Amino acid sequence: MTPPIQDKIIDENLKWARINDDVLRSMENPRRAYWITFAVCLAMFAVAIAAEIYQYRTGMGVAGLSNPHMWDMYIATFVFWIGMSHAGTLLSAILHIIHAQWRKPIYRFAEAMTTFSLMTAGFFPMIHLGRVWNFYWVLPYVSDRGIWPNFRSPLVWDAFAISTYLSASALFLVIGLIPDLAIARDHTTGWRRKLYGVLALGWRGDDRQWRNFRKTYMLMACFLIPLAISVHSIVSSDFAMSLMPGWHVTTFPPYFVAGALYSGCAAIMTLFIALRYFFRFEEYMTLNIMEKTCKLTFAIAMVWSYLNLIEFAATWYGHNVYDKELLIDKAVGPYAGLFWLMIFCGVVAPFGLCFEKLRRNMPAMLVMSVVLQIGMYVERWMIVTPTLSMAHNPHQWQTLWGPVVEWAIVFGSFGWFGLLFLVFVKLFPSVSMYEVKELAFHLKAEIEEEAHAAKHAQGEAHAHGPHGSLGGGGVPVSAPAAPRSGKEGS
Amino acid sequence: MAKHQVLAMFSDFDHAIAAIENIKSGKMPGATIEDITVLSPIEHPDIDNILGKRPVNVQKFTFTGALFGMAFAFFFISSAQASFLVQPQGGKPVIPFPTAFVLMYEQLIFWGVWTTVITFLVLAGMMKKRGNLYSEKLTVDQIGLGLEIDDSKLEGVKEFFRQQQALEIREEKVR
Amino acid sequence: MSFKNIIENFSAYRKDAEMGGHHTYEHRWTMAIDLNLCIGCNACSTACYAENNLPVVGKERFAKNQAIHWMRIERYWDPADEMYPEQGASFLPMMCQQCGAATCEPVCPVSATYHTPDGLNAQVYNRCIGSRYCNNNCPFRVRYFNFYSYYESSWPEPLHMQLNPDLSVRDKGVMEKCTFCVQRIRSAKDSAKMEDRKVQDGDFQTACQQACPTTAIVFGDALDPESKVSKLWKAHQIKRGPVTQKKPKDNPELRGYRIFDELNVDSSVMYLERVRETEV
Repeated sequence: MTPPIQDKIIDENLKWARINDDVLRSMENPRRAYWITFAVCLAMFAVAIAAEIYQYRTGMGVAGLSNPHMWDMYIATFVFWIGMSHAGTLLSAILHIIHAQWRKPIYRFAEAMTTFSLMTAGFFPMIHLGRVWNFYWVLPYVSDRGIWPNFRSPLVWDAFAISTYLSASALFLVIGLIPDLAIARDHTTGWRRKLYGVLALGWRGDDRQWRNFRKTYMLMACFLIPLAISVHSIVSSDFAMSLMPGWHVTTFPPYFVAGALYSGCAAIMTLFIALRYFFRFEEYMTLNIMEKTCKLTFAIAMVWSYLNLIEFAATWYGHNVYDKELLIDKAVGPYAGLFWLMIFCGVVAPFGLCFEKLRRNMPAMLVMSVVLQIGMYVERWMIVTPTLSMAHNPHQWQTLWGPVVEWAIVFGSFGWFGLLFLVFVKLFPSVSMYEVKELAFHLKAEIEEEAHAAKHAQGEAHAHGPHGSLGGGGVPVSAPAAPRSGKEGS
Repeated sequence: MAKHQVLAMFSDFDHAIAAIENIKSGKMPGATIEDITVLSPIEHPDIDNILGKRPVNVQKFTFTGALFGMAFAFFFISSAQASFLVQPQGGKPVIPFPTAFVLMYEQLIFWGVWTTVITFLVLAGMMKKRGNLYSEKLTVDQIGLGLEIDDSKLEGVKEFFRQQQALEIREEKVR
Repeated sequence: MSFKNIIENFSAYRKDAEMGGHHTYEHRWTMAIDLNLCIGCNACSTACYAENNLPVVGKERFAKNQAIHWMRIERYWDPADEMYPEQGASFLPMMCQQCGAATCEPVCPVSATYHTPDGLNAQVYNRCIGSRYCNNNCPFRVRYFNFYSYYESSWPEPLHMQLNPDLSVRDKGVMEKCTFCVQRIRSAKDSAKMEDRKVQDGDFQTACQQACPTTAIVFGDALDPESKVSKLWKAHQIKRGPVTQKKPKDNPELRGYRIFDELNVDSSVMYLERVRETEV
């Protein structure tokens, strides 16, 4: 069924030369709005650096930690950033394997978001250590004392998993960028041409390269999906492998993965709206794609809500007095405000995504995505601190509210992420040019095939001549009889 | 025998595929379908069917790399835990299997990904010094057919491409 | 790395605590605390401060719960008794239970804590990088973190002369906890070895045991059947190991129990319940 005119994924008649020009224009020398954003991010990052220097020299006590509260916002933020990285993988890898075409214009910046949020998350396990300068002891290296890290500890699994995920994501991003870098190499001058010439690794676009590229990309996508799921499961096992009430829960791995996909999709919505506005990518990041992203976010929101609520049900059935009292305390105790904020932002707010008028309204979606992310951040914190506030031993029950130093560092991590992303959008194409061309090509083929079939059904014999337009052909003259609507071979 | 490289540019896939079909049916003097390379700005999934069988071997290396990663993880971790300073912990055995499984899984993926990437770079012929003919329009919207041919057959091949409505034909002498 | 080591010892290395572990214990240091005798005077806590170089952190940091007290007296109030409300006070001396199946041990990323052949849970200060996962996994919350460099302010001269030279003063960023006065254990073992005999019950005392005015704390070797603590455990029918206790529940004479025993951590400390005139 041909979709209605205003609802196409992208316009299939887009000239390919124009795609090149539009995206390469986004990489030109930046204007004032960019520099202001850059300065703001830099200032945020500087605040974090100052706070960390203070904490490094004085001790972890300035972070407000105490005997029961040995972990607080640093670990919550760590989990938040790792979580945010998952949606990029979802878009790049999972939607690639199921041949969802609409991901093509938007997966590039999502994949970049994955890599950068991992680079941000990687700081927090180091920052929260008491003796930061010895952080490398968790890595397995041949030491003169013959001591190895403790491979039974979930924190060591974290080190392995995050370094694997970071390197695999970065490689996935870099490999996927190669044809685009070839385009950039061919159509820029000066230092840019030299840079892209090196990074494109000699890409010519011949069939041998494309064949291997297709296979490699599919293989990496197949690896990246179980990796993403296992990474956040391993991060969840920081909590699930302990015996604390509220942590020792078997649904933690899927719960964390669902929360990760959720907050990542919300972040994709935010960056989508920002890039679409600032770079005028309306032709590529269309409302149709926004709608699909919103629907995906809604579906994940429902999965997350279910897993959240089922955890309550399991506690209620379990008669474990520690778990039960902790859950009741979360809902009515000193943290109740944040608990209900989390429930509102995570469970109730996504229902706004059900309304088409809201979905197509960019300012509303910007607000919605920020609300969803706030809800998910609070959710991460609600996992970490209330359990520590009210664990087994009643003598050590205490309430904790994060002090300035923790807030400063957490705030600054957003600045660091912003810096990385801003540098990326000016150096590399944030829309995947070759994939958009492929999308246009396949959409055009699909439409013409349907028109052809419709005409055949009307009994008209029609001789098709070759369509000599620049930018993707129609049904070829003497091709094998296989249907080619939206097909991507591997 | 001196050789030339020829690159013929076509405006879209239809023309290029029509030309390939003609080459397959033997209409091009002095070259067969095996000598042809198709250069394009996007991948065309049916090119393989049209060009004939050209194998891809990346997945074999990937599989080997992944298996290696798994075995490596288990033996590395077990021998590290069983090193001279054996430290019993938490009532758990010195070589526990559940924790080893987690790390085996991670290392399977780590080595699988890295071997895939390195194999890709090698098998796709990336990072070679650019001696082959190239046109910048290949990254915009034109399709190229390239081949290497003896000097004696050069004019015949160029004439063939002109008949196939090639937009541009480039040639370069192979040193 | 010892590939040969794995092959030779594979079956031994695969045993966990329920199957007897992979090595035999030389001693099994154990404690029994009679809550009926404990009056909550805090002498044990103070003695621990003196013996183990614990810093005094100051009022402000104490209020934030950043204090370090390896032995702490936990006070609880039972509102049950209205006629004699002062009898509602309960005191629980809580210190590291030196669990046989310690939950803090497997989660340390750098193996800074492990189980010694003496049955103690050891903390290696110079290996600790301060990830603090161990305390998060301790159900008793008896591990303490050096949130600041306390040594800079806790012992202004000449107070530094009071420090015990047998053990270190810890810097910021490391975890520490009760060690059952391991420095005294080492001295006693060394003396016994020099005299060519085994360590006898009563050769040494932990600091808290030594200071207690009511002799509420009993400490000794569980592997020595003649030691006071073995006899006490046997009398109250509490067994070692990550097992469920099988003592008869209705006998009021059997007052022994281990805290959070249902978590199966094999605590080395047995508490004897207070004798009350009314039901709790």
